[in-house]
Amino acid sequence: MGFLNNTTVTLDAILTKKGRELLARGDGSFSITQFALSDDEVDYSLYNPTHPSGSGFYGEAIENMPLLEAFPDETQVMKYKLVTLPRGTARMPVLDIGYSSISFKQGSAFTVRPQTLNYLSQTQAFETSGYTFTISDVRLLNSFNGVGIDTPEVQALNSTSTIGTSVSKTVVGTSLSMTATTINTLFGTNTSLTATLQIVGRDSGARISIPVTVNKV
Amino acid sequence: MSFKRLDPEDFLVSSDTVTSTVWSDEAPNLQTFFTASTTSTNDKYYKNVYKTSDRSAIQFALAYGDKLGSGSAQFNDLVAQKTPTRTVYGQFRNLIYGDENADFNFGGTTSETFWAISVERARYKEKLLPASLNLQISGSYDLELTDNSKLVSVDTFLECGRVYQLISGSNGTSYDGGTGYSTDQGSYGLFLPDIATIVLNPLAISSSIEVEVSRSYDAAGENISKIFNAISGAAHFEVNSEETLSSDYVFVRARNSEFNYSENPSYISGSTGDVLFSSLINNPQSYMTTVGLYNDTNELLAVAKLSKPLLKDFTKETLLRVKLDF
Repeated sequence: MGFLNNTTVTLDAILTKKGRELLARGDGSFSITQFALSDDEVDYSLYNPTHPSGSGFYGEAIENMPLLEAFPDETQVMKYKLVTLPRGTARMPVLDIGYSSISFKQGSAFTVRPQTLNYLSQTQAFETSGYTFTISDVRLLNSFNGVGIDTPEVQALNSTSTIGTSVSKTVVGTSLSMTATTINTLFGTNTSLTATLQIVGRDSGARISIPVTVNKV
Repeated sequence: MSFKRLDPEDFLVSSDTVTSTVWSDEAPNLQTFFTASTTSTNDKYYKNVYKTSDRSAIQFALAYGDKLGSGSAQFNDLVAQKTPTRTVYGQFRNLIYGDENADFNFGGTTSETFWAISVERARYKEKLLPASLNLQISGSYDLELTDNSKLVSVDTFLECGRVYQLISGSNGTSYDGGTGYSTDQGSYGLFLPDIATIVLNPLAISSSIEVEVSRSYDAAGENISKIFNAISGAAHFEVNSEETLSSDYVFVRARNSEFNYSENPSYISGSTGDVLFSSLINNPQSYMTTVGLYNDTNELLAVAKLSKPLLKDFTKETLLRVKLDF
């Protein structure tokens, strides 16, 4: 005779910065309606399908890993989501923007239209909820606009301006329209400035990061 | 694909009652008593009582109230009966009865005077627990007092919430099975758990153990010191606190066919999205570490971490209970 495992695991949740903000509003906007699971911190290269002890030990190096406590910054958690796909899926959804990097001149415009590969049984597809675009240093750009999603929440996010020491900016849209800065003093003695553009599919959870370079004219 | 909607039955609001000791260091019984070593302008109204000689944490305060203002010096000799004890009397009368014409009634006996024991706010958290009170007062003998919460079938309410009579006995009941009142002066006081206050009836205490109040119009009566000496002399004061904690629970259910793949970059080989190991194609495995709770617009409101990665595949279903405390 042995004891059965308890199958319910209890977790203590913390509010994120966004959660605290919405709770403080007291207008009912703090309403949990859905959940997602992620495997942040897990390195699947540790998975060993040739483990000499057999399949029960393939994930040995992952399963015993101690985890960090949750971060309240919503941009630093839930990065890599678990997804539901049909059994036998050989390719995961990945984002494709047609470039591995973006380089453009001062004052010129550039549009990014991501597509999701291997998504919803299609080779290429646009996600209906759009994409989240985050630029690490918005000072490189005169404009950084998400286009194509017109819900009030997205419009509110897209119209948010950034001040102070925080120089990253996030917008949502099916495409991204941006214009490089025309301010010469920002370059100093450099001939180009570089930032990182991160794109996340809002339905698939697929993500990609590419460098963005603005060249001085 | 990566988000799953929660059903109404996935939410549960739970209220749990937690009881604990009131006094410092989780001691169930307060046996040592100290007042402040220096005088204060508030001494004529109340005195704080500490557990240790370093006076590091207040346990409760003692006050004396008198309807006619006796037991302390008048604020101004030209104005009769206006004294700190009159102020205290009006203060507690307002708090307990909410009626400036009410008299303190101790089990059918009215009194113009009382002693009040007010437990420090940080000690009792929300309210005191009825039937946990065991207070001994030293006089001609040690009088053992408790509340009568186990003797009454229906609670009595005043402006301050629930009211129980102080009786001779222990743990919420009398020793002899009777009312536990004094012989001819009603109950020994009132136990007011919702405002963490105990009101003592000097008439009953005086008739039983001969601890009497002074009703002269000067400060020499030292009525607060008298009850302090009576309590510290017996060295036995037990009472527990009671607190209601509300928690929101969200039950997160991942069915066998769900969440078996990952968008983790280390799960993918190359830019085409190929799964890292061929064995993961027909027998995918993922390791969940984090649960995110979202609103309708995909904003992350709360997050919970597991203590170690939890394996998920097509042969396993997972039920996680996420607790949200506000």
